[in-house]
Formats: sequence, structure tokens, C-alpha cells
Amino acid sequence: MYAIFNAMKNLVRNLGRNILLASVTLAVIICVSAALAIGNTSEKMIEDTRLQIGSKVSISLDLMATHEQGQGPDNLASIGIEDYLSYGESDYLDKSVFSVQIPMYSSTVFAVDDETKGQKEWQNQDGSVAKAPTLMLVGNSDAETLSEFASGEREILPGGKMPEELNECAISSDLAELNNISVGDPISIQGQSQSAPNYELIVSGIYSDKTAAYASPMYQFQGLVHLGQRNQVIATYDAVMSKGYETDEGIDFQSQYYLKDPRELDKFEAEVRSKGLPRDYSVSINQEELDKVTGPLAGMRGASSTFMAVILSLGGLALALISYLAVKERKYEIGALRAMGMEKAMISLCLLSESVAITIVCLALGLFAGRAVSQPIADSLLAGQVSASQAQSAGGGGKILMANGKTQTSGVNSYTPISEIEVALNAGTMVQIAVLALALALLSGMVGIVSIAKYEPLKILRERG
Amino acid sequence: MSVLELENVSYAYEGSSKAVFSDVTLSFEAGKAYAIAGKSGSGKSTLLHLLGGLDVATRGRVSYGGESLADMNRNRYRARNAGIIFQGLNLLTNASALENIVLSMRISGMKGPGLKAKALELLARVGISPEKASRKILKLSGGEQQRIAIARALAHNPDLIAADEPTGNLDKDTEYKILKIFEDLAHKEGKCVIIATHSKRVTAIADEIWTVDKGVFRSVPTKRN
Ligand SMILES: Nc1ncnc2c1ncn2[C@@H]1O[C@H](COP(=O)(O)OP(=O)(O)OP(=O)(O)O)[C@@H](O)[C@H]1O
Ligand SMILES: [Mg+2]
Repeated sequence: MYAIFNAMKNLVRNLGRNILLASVTLAVIICVSAALAIGNTSEKMIEDTRLQIGSKVSISLDLMATHEQGQGPDNLASIGIEDYLSYGESDYLDKSVFSVQIPMYSSTVFAVDDETKGQKEWQNQDGSVAKAPTLMLVGNSDAETLSEFASGEREILPGGKMPEELNECAISSDLAELNNISVGDPISIQGQSQSAPNYELIVSGIYSDKTAAYASPMYQFQGLVHLGQRNQVIATYDAVMSKGYETDEGIDFQSQYYLKDPRELDKFEAEVRSKGLPRDYSVSINQEELDKVTGPLAGMRGASSTFMAVILSLGGLALALISYLAVKERKYEIGALRAMGMEKAMISLCLLSESVAITIVCLALGLFAGRAVSQPIADSLLAGQVSASQAQSAGGGGKILMANGKTQTSGVNSYTPISEIEVALNAGTMVQIAVLALALALLSGMVGIVSIAKYEPLKILRERG
Repeated sequence: MSVLELENVSYAYEGSSKAVFSDVTLSFEAGKAYAIAGKSGSGKSTLLHLLGGLDVATRGRVSYGGESLADMNRNRYRARNAGIIFQGLNLLTNASALENIVLSMRISGMKGPGLKAKALELLARVGISPEKASRKILKLSGGEQQRIAIARALAHNPDLIAADEPTGNLDKDTEYKILKIFEDLAHKEGKCVIIATHSKRVTAIADEIWTVDKGVFRSVPTKRN
């Protein structure tokens, strides 16, 4: 006990050297706590995202598989809307979301970017000539899954609300301004073919829209204004389907299934196969999307662990060196203690308790400072990762062209990569830091102990004479 | 009664082929003061290091109370039985005099709240005031440091006191006072006091004087006898 007391006094007696040791220890602890906080937080966010996105299952035509089997597009098995609906009735699912998109034309509501004012015509697949579509009617069975609204890129302006009733819709503020439409006004839109149903809808909400105007600049170039983001008319799924669509002829139908537990994908697939889903269709989570969203985080986690490894090895080396030099400098003191009869083990314990004490003080300060610096570091790291991943995905070609030549422009599956992270220094992380810091203390203490072990008291004292 | 005995002791420093001394047989008794005199480099300090349990004989046997130092826990021996005053003092230089002495007491296993008072008493005995007692060793004069080293060697009340040139840095008056302490330790407190020295004044208080020259120890008659 007295020896430990003496060791603590030594901390003050050798203040200069201990301040040096403490500075290195502190720097290491701050860096390690920042790295750990960032690493652990990204880890957790990756896990959360995996649970979120990983639970989202799509059933889609597997073009690769059918191509390999040598099948042409004509003899593909097809499944109908009622099949998709039936897959949704499963105990493995939390919910199913269905969305439809139907190209529309209106003689009273002109589309943004439509210079012809609704006069353009084109030939339908059946050969008939009709007015070219200018608007896109979007129906979605779960407004919460409209990612543009979830991400805040689209926002319902005050005084309006998302469509709920069968006769309600929401439109972009650009479209509203162009046609002088306010909340409560009726609009009238028509389907493409003569037989296609018309919709009489009341505008329940107008939203601001910061999404890219077109998913691909080609659409705008070709005058496909109905593919423009501003020209969407958003209604509920029920509203769109209320006109009695039974097949997906002429409409773009999509379904998303949300598993209760992402690990039950196989069971869900077995179930839908038993309900008759052909082999040409795959049941899968969107790995690419998952990677895109979690990519920046994974990059950050990697960077933080590399950083930590570097810091720990450099810091450990520096501490080991300082303690080695410190013990060399203190060998007369140690010799004197040995001459006074203090056991080697006791001296070792003292050296160890000195470095542990320094570490504990640094730990308190370091956790505090680490907490303060980890957020800005995480923010800037993440910003770098996000722009890197954006550059990557831009190079990769952007939106996906569907089997039927339509593009997937809206609806349930366009997650944006995570660009914000809240770094938390939670209890678990603090324990990790404490363990690492104490390991460092032990390391520097051990270096001291090993280097004094070779000294005999007389040898040390002799060297002074 | 002999406390400490050397039987046919030889010692050579590691890596040195020439022995500092060989085949030395000596015996030291409680209640007596011994002076070891000899030229510089003759081996006085080396002998005291062996007696103090800081090193072991290359050959032969050094025993304390009949037990060989080579076989005993010499840490414990240094902490409890022997009080060594080094030629180089070996004080903890960035601690205070008081701390040096209390620490020595603690290492020897002494406990209790009275240690500080005891240490101050001991320091007063060698002429160190309480004010100087709480100063760092480095801020004290050579003579003051020497007296603190003496006080520290006595701190744990050892049976054997081995002092290497303990009065080298002292003026005549102080030297006299210190020698009086050594004399009392031997004659009044029954300690075995062994002093390596060049000083005539030291030999004057000794009950036995040994000279060492070229590795050979010779007994010299004292004025007392
Ligand atoms: N560490 C050492 N290694 C080798 N030889 C040593 C070592 N220390 C001392 N010696 C040699 O041992 C001999 C005895 O040295 P010692 O220090 O015992 O002499 P001393 O009588 O105490 O001298 P002084 O009066 O100068 O203190 C000397 O010849 C010295 O050179
Ligand atoms: Mg000497």
C-alpha cells in the first residue's frame, strides 16, 4: 500500500516525464475513442439498414436466368396482379406494398416541359394513334414507403395532405403553378387507349419537389414528358385500381414485400414457389441497393479500424519507447529502492500502477475529448464516402430499365445512401476504449518492468560510480 | 558473539579475471565498531557490498547469524537486518529526506502513524532540521545528504550498519558528532558497526581496525586496546 502511495507521489515527482507520457496516452485515447465511436456507430447503422432494406423483398423477372435458359421474351411465364397480391398474404410478412404507374394524357392539365401543349401523338402497341402520354398516374398502397417523401426531397406544402380517398391526388408545385391549380381543384386525366378509364380527381395536396427532373436526360431529350418527375399524379393504389384493372396490361405494376424477419427470406420464397411462382422469377432482397446505402458506412467503418490500428501501433510504440527511456533514466532510483530492500515484484507493481494511474486520468479526459471530436470527424469522413459512392453509382448507369421497357422512376425502392450519422459514445464503446487504454498502460508498464528485470541493484548503483 | 562472518571469501567482478580479494576470513561481532582502512581501489566498498547483501561472494561464504547470505532472501536482509550507507549515498533524489526515511521504514515492514515523528527524530539526531527534512534531496548540500543517508541506514533499526566513507563530506565538528553516533550505536545499542574509511578520526572510535592492501586484510592494533 505504501509502495503504491509512493508510486502516486512519483507521478508528481517526475512531472515533466509524466506529462509527456500522459500527452501521448491522451492523444492515443482520443484517436481511439473517435475511431471506435465512429466504427461502432457505422456498424450499428449498417446493421439497422440491413434489417430495414434486407427485409424488403422483390419478386421480379430474372432476366439473366431466362437468358441463360435460351428463352426468348415471348415464351416467358407471366404472373398477374392477383398472383402478386396472393404472395402478399403470408405470415412471414410484416406488410406488402403495391404500386402502379399508368401513363396518362390530359387535355386540360398541361405537363411541365411539354412544348406541344398536349398535341403530340404517337402510335400505341395495337396500332392505333393516340395522344402521347404527358402525365404519370402513380398509385401506392403505403404512402410511408414513398421514399422521396420519406427522405424529404418531396414535401407536401402547407394546406394540403397526401391523398387518402379514392378521388384524391397530389401533384408537384411545378405542375400546379403551370396549370394554376390549387388544393381542392378537380383535374381530369385520360388513359391511353379508347377503352382505358379516365380519372376525375381532386387535388388534396401540392408538394415541393427537389428530385432530379428526369431519371435520365434521354427522356427529356426524347420529349417523354410523362417520365418527368414533376409530371406525376400521385394517388392511392386503391384509387388507381378502382377502375377495374385486372391484368398488368398497359400498367406498370410493382410489389414489395416486407419480411418480419430478414432471415426468413428462404421460407418466404418456398411459400411463394408453392403458390406457383415460376422459376423465371427471382425472390430477392436488393443487395445492390443495400450495398449502395451501406457502402459509405462500410467505407467509414473500414477507415476507422485502419486508423485505429495505425494509432494503436504507433501510440503503443511511442509509449513503449518512452517507458523504456523513462526506466533507463530512473534506474538509480530503482537501484536505490532495491538497495533499501524493496522486492522487484513490488517495484514492478509500482511502475505498473504509475502508468495505470496516468492512463485513468487520460481516459477520463480522452473520453470527454473523443466524444467532442468524433462527430465532426465522422461527418467529414461520411461526406467523403458519400461523394465517392455517388461518383461510383453515376458511372454505373443510374436507373434500371425494366423488362417491359419501362423505367422504374418512383415508388418504393429508391433509397438514398446514408449521408448523416449520429456518432454515439455509448457504454459499450467506452468499455472498449477503457480496455484498450489499460492494455496500453500494461504495455508501457511491462516494457518498464522487463527493462528493469535485468538490473541487479549493485550493477545499477555501480554504474553511477 | 559474532553477527557476521566471512569464511574463505573471494570476489572478482563479473568479466574481470583478477580477484579484488581472495580467501578472506573475518568475523564481526555485535556491540563493536570496526574500521576498514585502505588505499583507494583496495576493495573497501566491494567488501561492504558483500556484507550488505547487495552482491554475493564468488567463492566462500558470507553468513549472518549463522545463515549464508547467498541462500537467504537478501531483499529482506537489506530491508530489516542491514543498514547500508553507500559511498554514493543512493538517496531518492527527487523525494524529500523525510520521505526517504519513512519509505525505508515502510519497506522494512514498520507500520503505524508514528513513523513520521520517528523519522524527524532520527534526522534531528544527525542534525537535519524539520524544515530541511521536507526539502528535496537535490536541494540539500553534500554534507546534509550524507547525514540523511546515515539517518536512512538507521531508520529500520538494523543490527548491522555498514558505512562507506560516511564522513567524507563533513566538517570536523559534524564528523565528530556523527562518529559519536556510530560509537553509541555500537557500544550503547549493541549494534555491529563497520566503517570503510581513510579518516584517522574514524579509526579512533574503532574497536578493531582492518587494513586491506592488494586483497589481503590485516588486523591493526588500536589505541583502545
Ligand atoms: N563494477 C566494477 N567492475 C570491475 N571492477 C570494479 C568495479 N567496481 C570496482 N572495481 C574494481 O575493484 C577494485 C576495488 O574497488 P572498490 O570500489 O571496492 O575500492 P575502494 O577501496 O572502495 O576505493 P575508494 O577508496 O576509492 O572508494 C578496484 O580496483 C576497482 O577498480
Ligand atoms: Mg569505495
